[in-house]
Amino acid sequence: MSTLSTRLRTRLRERGGIDVQTVVTLAVLIAMIVVFSQLNDRFLTVDNFKNVLVQTAPVMLVGCAVTLVMIARGLDLSVGSVAAVAAVFAAAFTARHGWSLVAAGIGALAIGGLFGLVNGLLIVRLQVNPIIATLGTMNVARGAAYLISSSAIIVGLPAGWGDLGTSSVGPVPTPVAIALVAIVVFQLVLNRTAFGRHVYAIGGNEETARLSGVNVGRALVILYVLAGLTAGLAGLMMASRFGSGDPNAYVGFEFDVIVAVILGGTSLAGGEGRVAGTVLGALIVGFLSNSLNLIGVDPFWQYVAKGTVLIFAVVLDRFVRSGTAGAQLRLPRLGRRTAGAAA
Amino acid sequence: MSESRVAEPPPRAQHAERPPAAPPLLRVRGVGKRFPGVVALDAVDFELTAGEVHCLLGENGAGKSTLVKILAGAQRADEGEIELNGEAVSFASPQEAQRHGLAFIFQELSVVPSLSVADNIALGNERVRGGLLQRREAHAEARALMESIGFPGIDPGRPVRTLSIAEQQGVMIARALRLDSRVIVMDEATSALTGEEVARLFALIRRLKQGGRAIVFVSHRLQELAEIGDRVTVFKDGRHVATVPASTPPQELVRLMVGREVQGFPDGGRRRSGEVVLRARGLRTARLDGVDLDVRAGEVLGVAGLVGSGRTELLRALFGADRLDGGSVELDGRALRLRRPGDAIDAGLALVPEDRRGQGIVALRSVGENLLTIWETHRRLRPRGERPRVLAQRLREQLAIKTPSLEQRISLLSGGNQQKVVIGKWLAVGPRVLLLDEPTKGIDVGAKMELFRLVDRLARAGMAVVMVSSELPEVLGMADRICVMKDGRIAREFEPGVSEEEIVAVALSEEEEAK
Ligand SMILES: Nc1ncnc2c1ncn2[C@@H]1O[C@H](COP(=O)(O)OP(=O)(O)OP(=O)(O)O)[C@@H](O)[C@H]1O
Ligand SMILES: [Mg+2]
Repeated sequence: MSTLSTRLRTRLRERGGIDVQTVVTLAVLIAMIVVFSQLNDRFLTVDNFKNVLVQTAPVMLVGCAVTLVMIARGLDLSVGSVAAVAAVFAAAFTARHGWSLVAAGIGALAIGGLFGLVNGLLIVRLQVNPIIATLGTMNVARGAAYLISSSAIIVGLPAGWGDLGTSSVGPVPTPVAIALVAIVVFQLVLNRTAFGRHVYAIGGNEETARLSGVNVGRALVILYVLAGLTAGLAGLMMASRFGSGDPNAYVGFEFDVIVAVILGGTSLAGGEGRVAGTVLGALIVGFLSNSLNLIGVDPFWQYVAKGTVLIFAVVLDRFVRSGTAGAQLRLPRLGRRTAGAAA
Repeated sequence: MSESRVAEPPPRAQHAERPPAAPPLLRVRGVGKRFPGVVALDAVDFELTAGEVHCLLGENGAGKSTLVKILAGAQRADEGEIELNGEAVSFASPQEAQRHGLAFIFQELSVVPSLSVADNIALGNERVRGGLLQRREAHAEARALMESIGFPGIDPGRPVRTLSIAEQQGVMIARALRLDSRVIVMDEATSALTGEEVARLFALIRRLKQGGRAIVFVSHRLQELAEIGDRVTVFKDGRHVATVPASTPPQELVRLMVGREVQGFPDGGRRRSGEVVLRARGLRTARLDGVDLDVRAGEVLGVAGLVGSGRTELLRALFGADRLDGGSVELDGRALRLRRPGDAIDAGLALVPEDRRGQGIVALRSVGENLLTIWETHRRLRPRGERPRVLAQRLREQLAIKTPSLEQRISLLSGGNQQKVVIGKWLAVGPRVLLLDEPTKGIDVGAKMELFRLVDRLARAGMAVVMVSSELPEVLGMADRICVMKDGRIAREFEPGVSEEEIVAVALSEEEEAK
């Protein structure tokens, strides 16, 4: 009995332990669902949940990659615009140039990856601050989306265009299935591979990571490329669901992603964070918009609500962290040899 | 080797050649490195043979760490060549150096605070099978490594930031050992360790030596060089001065390193201590268990004790850095309310912390700005009349801080010079009580004595000084009274005439009983 629990505990610790923050985020999510279901009886239905999941799938998908970026102390503001340019590219080339869906899809992903590569190289090679670099590419990508589409919504897309966004894999809508795969893969990469350790190390202390033989530059470039690729895929998912290529789409998407990542407990200072947390964060954002819609709150108020949630989350995070930071300042003393030996 | 460089060859220099039968494992020839305003290395030579412990000695800023970083591929030499096993190599990155079988413990504590002990030890060289990390093996390995260097019972899953400085240093040593390298370079690896831990590390180094490994060992503690070293290479101002056997008498080593005789501890006769300035009664914190303390104006109170006995905690409590669970602190008979360090600073207390990089300096700012941090933030304490630049310049000269200019980023100075800046920032506001926590950590012999002279002068001018140090000779040489701490309490107070053995006996006594 006791051996079982100790074994469980050692296992947990080997796996990095239970994260208090994830538990808290989960509790918040559940509390929200309970409250919202009281406010509106259409909220707690299978259809509505499915709807929320489909809507949040792109945030989760891109959020996974951005979580890694932010753990490594980076930031990517360009994901919304990159998603838009990828979507518009695919739509334009199928509708106007007769590309096959597969070719257009691959092209869209390539565009996403390319923007990611540019971000990565700017940040790593030219030492541009990530906020500035991705703010720049954010505008470049948005401009490119308008240019490709001649600033019009592209319609007249072939049959099968809608499959990615509207079909299902068994009972699971395809976008949700894609997000799930991404979650599992990113979780695995982050927690069970050397690359994942390097991501944490880079965020925790970049110089130490470098001196330890971690190829910091390469890792960062890979992370931004991953963010770009997922953004491209998210763009395709959206364009497919709406049946058009809209250069105006995904404005403010990066905001939702970053809110999800922060709500999920990833530290802005880098070095800490979890994919699971981001998923919960994305769901919180998703359920919040959904229920505000259902109650009939003016969409403009939703901006106010989301902005408030973000600030609230960061303040709360600061509060919690300064509490634990205080504890940590004391801990080294507790952890001195005498205490260590006693433990 | 380059004995020709020595103006007057040291008496036993011929032994230095002790020609190694095998060709050197590592040979550095004519390596130079310049930084803006500084020649860090000027065409230095250095040789390392398999199975030897080769010490590097030199004043702060002599270029030891620069050589280490060049060997590690962390910095590029401007000129010169490096040969490994007779083959010319040039490491463009730390990975390459690692691949060639070189492992490093860098002078600056380089750990990732948020990662676990096991992850830090394996970083950059993780165990993977089928692309996945082998957590359990990594933990077992980390535990075994930490145990082998004398840190048993540390949970490998613990984030490194929760460890003490000594334990963090242990993590770095474990890291270097794990790589099973041919060459292990330890840049002041012992600076945060105490007697017992150093002894264990040395036992380990001897085993590595027997296994044919070569070790480069940098330390400012001369007795360590004599104990573990085979040869000593002395640098001065970026130049190779001499390579001599480690058995060379310490005075001779110091002469080579400083270029002149170094004076001993300041000896102006007994200091005349005055009134009690600082009085603490029944101090209690998480790690203090009721400390009573009186510090008089004009005296140096030495605090000895083992790591973890509460010395750092005592200073932090007096400085308002840790919350008091009980007890009182009075300055000049007036009770102090210490809610935060700012209160202590306003009252006239100054703390030079143990963790210089983490707590003493603002790494990204200039030397000048660092010198003025306290001056800037505590207007009331400003002495009148002196302009900030002039003040900073005066402090730089008074403390002989070696820097190309006041605008230099402080993190680019050598460790010893950074420490001088930390002390300097307090002198800018003329405190009443100076609390020093391991002030000589990483400081060369010459600078140490300079520091002690400075402290002596300050005390004679009426400042009350509390000095915590793990180096008993320093405490004995400097203090007017010596308190020995153990388990969060002051176990005993001694007069300066006491022997090291007596102090150690008191510091250890409780542990003995516990066993
Ligand atoms: N990155 C850098 N930029 C500018 N100057 C530097 C840099 N690194 C080192 N220096 C300078 O080069 C000189 C040699 O420094 P180094 O750190 O090698 O000395 P050290 O012998 O290791 O001293 P210590 O015993 O204090 O550690 C010093 O004057 C230092 O200020
Ligand atoms: Mg050094």
